[in-house]
Amino acid sequence: MSIPRPSGAPGAYFEGMGVTPELCRQIIQTALQHGGNDCDLYFQHSAGNSIQLTDGKVSQASSSLDLGMGVRVVQGDQVGYSYSEDLSPGALLNAARVASQIASNGQSMTVPLPKSHSVPNYYPVSQPWDAVTMQTRVNLLRKWEESAFAVDNRVRRVDVFLRDGASVVMIVRADGKMVEDWRPSTMGYMQVTVEENGKRESNAYNVAARAGLEYFDEDRQSRLVKEAVRRALFQLDAVSPPAGEYPVVLAAGPSAILLHEAIGHGLEADFNRKNISIFSDKMNQKIASEHVTIVDDGTLDNTRGAINVDDEANDSERTVLVENGVLRSYLHDSISAKHFGVASTGSGRRQSFRHTPLPRMRATIMENGPHTHDEIVSSVKKGIYCAAFSNGQVNIGGGDFAFYVKQGYLIEDGKLTQPIKDVNVIGNGPDSLTKMDMIGDDLVVDEGGWTCGKDGQGIPVSQGMPTVRVSSLTVGGLG
Amino acid sequence: MSNLESIAHEIQQLALELGAEEVAVSVSQSVSTELTQREGILEKSQQSNSLGVGLELLVDERFSSHSASDVRLDSLRPFLTRAIEATRFLEPDPNRRLPELHEMGSADADLDANDVSWATYTPEARQDLLNQLEASSQAAANASTANVRSLTHHVWDAKVDSHICCSNGFSTGWSRTSFGMGGEITLVDTDGRLPEAYDYRSTRHLEDLPSVDLLAEELLSQGSNRLGSSGIPSAKMPVLLSNHIASKLIRTLINPMGGTAIYEKRSCLLDKVGSQIASSNLTIMDEPHIPRGLNSRPYDGDGFATRSRTIVQDGVLQGYLLGLYNARRLKTTPTTSSTSNIVIAPSTQSPQELIADLPQVIVIDGFLGGNANAITGDFSYGITGRYFERGELVQSVSEMNISGNIIELMMQFEAAGNDVWTYSSYRLPSLLFSGVQCSGT
Repeated sequence: MSIPRPSGAPGAYFEGMGVTPELCRQIIQTALQHGGNDCDLYFQHSAGNSIQLTDGKVSQASSSLDLGMGVRVVQGDQVGYSYSEDLSPGALLNAARVASQIASNGQSMTVPLPKSHSVPNYYPVSQPWDAVTMQTRVNLLRKWEESAFAVDNRVRRVDVFLRDGASVVMIVRADGKMVEDWRPSTMGYMQVTVEENGKRESNAYNVAARAGLEYFDEDRQSRLVKEAVRRALFQLDAVSPPAGEYPVVLAAGPSAILLHEAIGHGLEADFNRKNISIFSDKMNQKIASEHVTIVDDGTLDNTRGAINVDDEANDSERTVLVENGVLRSYLHDSISAKHFGVASTGSGRRQSFRHTPLPRMRATIMENGPHTHDEIVSSVKKGIYCAAFSNGQVNIGGGDFAFYVKQGYLIEDGKLTQPIKDVNVIGNGPDSLTKMDMIGDDLVVDEGGWTCGKDGQGIPVSQGMPTVRVSSLTVGGLG
Repeated sequence: MSNLESIAHEIQQLALELGAEEVAVSVSQSVSTELTQREGILEKSQQSNSLGVGLELLVDERFSSHSASDVRLDSLRPFLTRAIEATRFLEPDPNRRLPELHEMGSADADLDANDVSWATYTPEARQDLLNQLEASSQAAANASTANVRSLTHHVWDAKVDSHICCSNGFSTGWSRTSFGMGGEITLVDTDGRLPEAYDYRSTRHLEDLPSVDLLAEELLSQGSNRLGSSGIPSAKMPVLLSNHIASKLIRTLINPMGGTAIYEKRSCLLDKVGSQIASSNLTIMDEPHIPRGLNSRPYDGDGFATRSRTIVQDGVLQGYLLGLYNARRLKTTPTTSSTSNIVIAPSTQSPQELIADLPQVIVIDGFLGGNANAITGDFSYGITGRYFERGELVQSVSEMNISGNIIELMMQFEAAGNDVWTYSSYRLPSLLFSGVQCSGT
């Protein structure tokens, strides 16, 4: 099943389940009975669908349904949290009592009746999934499979899935602010297995957004199929690169996984509040070349990382993190914003009502610089060109980060030569920022379905960057 | 009938009534508490009580699976009505039929997975354990020459009850408790870097957690080991995987044994049953009945009674991980769909003894990123650790990778240590491999 965009006034959706503004006020009052500076309630109703084609048959489907409320009590840097999967008044008030136990300052707060605030709409949808029939979905998968086999006769297997989901969330705060947001999502995924002279290889491509069926226009469908096949075939000829330190050129788009790992996480303010990020004492200092400007933007229409409002009811925004090489801002949730005496950047996000919000990325983007792609590639005598990635990780304090390069090329005398695959690349965040010495003018926001993990919570994010040269990174190849 | 059993049974009846021809329902309830403390202040206290249902439906030989957190029949009725209706649009897949009732079962083994003391574990006792752990860590940090920037500690516990109920009449369930404690440390290095480390321990019984002093000491030592790290020149050399992180490479070997990878011919272990895939001194067991084992269990994902299996015997692959569905697709008999506790027997040699005579070795104590290609077996992982020459510590290493092919690596297995790590479902000792490609400067 799919959850349609609520048609009523903000708040009416959960009021229809018996959650009245007055009940919300009572829950917050109960949560603050022992004191505390703040409290919020996070109601969520989610549904998701997946349909899969394998062995030439659309023979597997799944769906999920989730409903609940999380209640958070904040006293200084302390958080008490509980949730209920039952929206009856008794269960909600009980969760509030459990969360209330963190507080001890005995401060009493007058809790106003919640009042709704409207939010902007960064995910316009023209063909919502609740109106898309099973037959339409089945036909899409069949068409993709057929197209993939038609691209190349070395294709042996095609596995495809199509997912969609939507959540209605309602956040109610102790200060009376109440917002409601409808968050759609979709992903198309294709895995292709190819065979040539007895050698098999496999690879996948996916596209994802906060959008409806309209996202899968002819261009997107064709790219999903062709890119999946191209990536599988690429593996046949690719080899492991040599090991050691090399100049690395990062292709525009998905390479922004480096931004996410090397810089983004280190600027999440919870790490800086605890003084354990390598960027903790770098505010307003020059940390990169003047050509480097990095933003984290929750307002890019239909991107997977877009949010109309964050999970603490703060406005989503475009936050400038690094401006012409100078560190300008961390990513804040309300707790870190209060700690640093600044406004929240609308970065408080959570996986679901079962989780507390943390400062998180949305769409992390490096803006264009002055160099062309060809200038950058031709500047490298011997190095590595990274084109496609699968995953990455960072150590916040040491600053060491890694990303796994699924596909790339050797660069020899300024030209892309031997295809390479399956290699981990390691660097140090602050160090590699200073080594980003050429920035391209060809920014691409990647369309892939990235999920960021932190403290056991996975959330959808986006990322993008132009072509960039890093003068040296450690490449984990062979020989 | 227990509460969960009656919920599972009611949901099964509802699905049958709405038109499903076969149904498997699993219901699980988890009650958990998690506390985090930093600088003497309780930073986070979370208490959760969660109930969830998973359903597998066969409708006119068509298969679908569903999950919901709201198990009230009033909510499930419209959800399942739509789910069943949607399933009719799929193509039939008779391999999805439930097994025969007589094939299913629950092992008659005492897993000792349920600590009765959980019921009387009070909020005060949890807070007390956390306070003691923090005090011990702080004392260790004060006594050390290392410059400790930050210490964060956690305690957590949970009780999980599960029940599965199938339309062929199979119905069984079990309960387990878990307890844990751990911490994260950040130190200040001489060049301003802030290296960090963590140490988490989890057990089925409260009394099996290590002492707070031992954990505090280990956490500080893990952190101190990261000071002054850098890459060393690329070379092939032996590596010793520390017991608590050795699972990363054993998983890399086990993943391509999965039934889906085998059926889809996307596995470097395809057609390798009976072949040498590792050194002849490597034997890997799957042991589901270890008392208090973290992944011990009476039945598997298909509802088959669990049994002990040898996965690799003297380096020879014994079989794949075949659940019922993949076994039917491959027209063979199932083994089990996933591993329980993975066991490699210890030796009598300590990790120090294993490396004492080696001219060069990296003792790996952590991984950073990296991945593996299951179809070729090629892997590339970032590592952190310490570099030794003839048993003498030379330096701490970081910004390095190890790369190779998982089968070639397993052929280069040399020896196990005597130090089995029991705080994981991968109960492994330290593992020594020769000739591993390490890339650095």
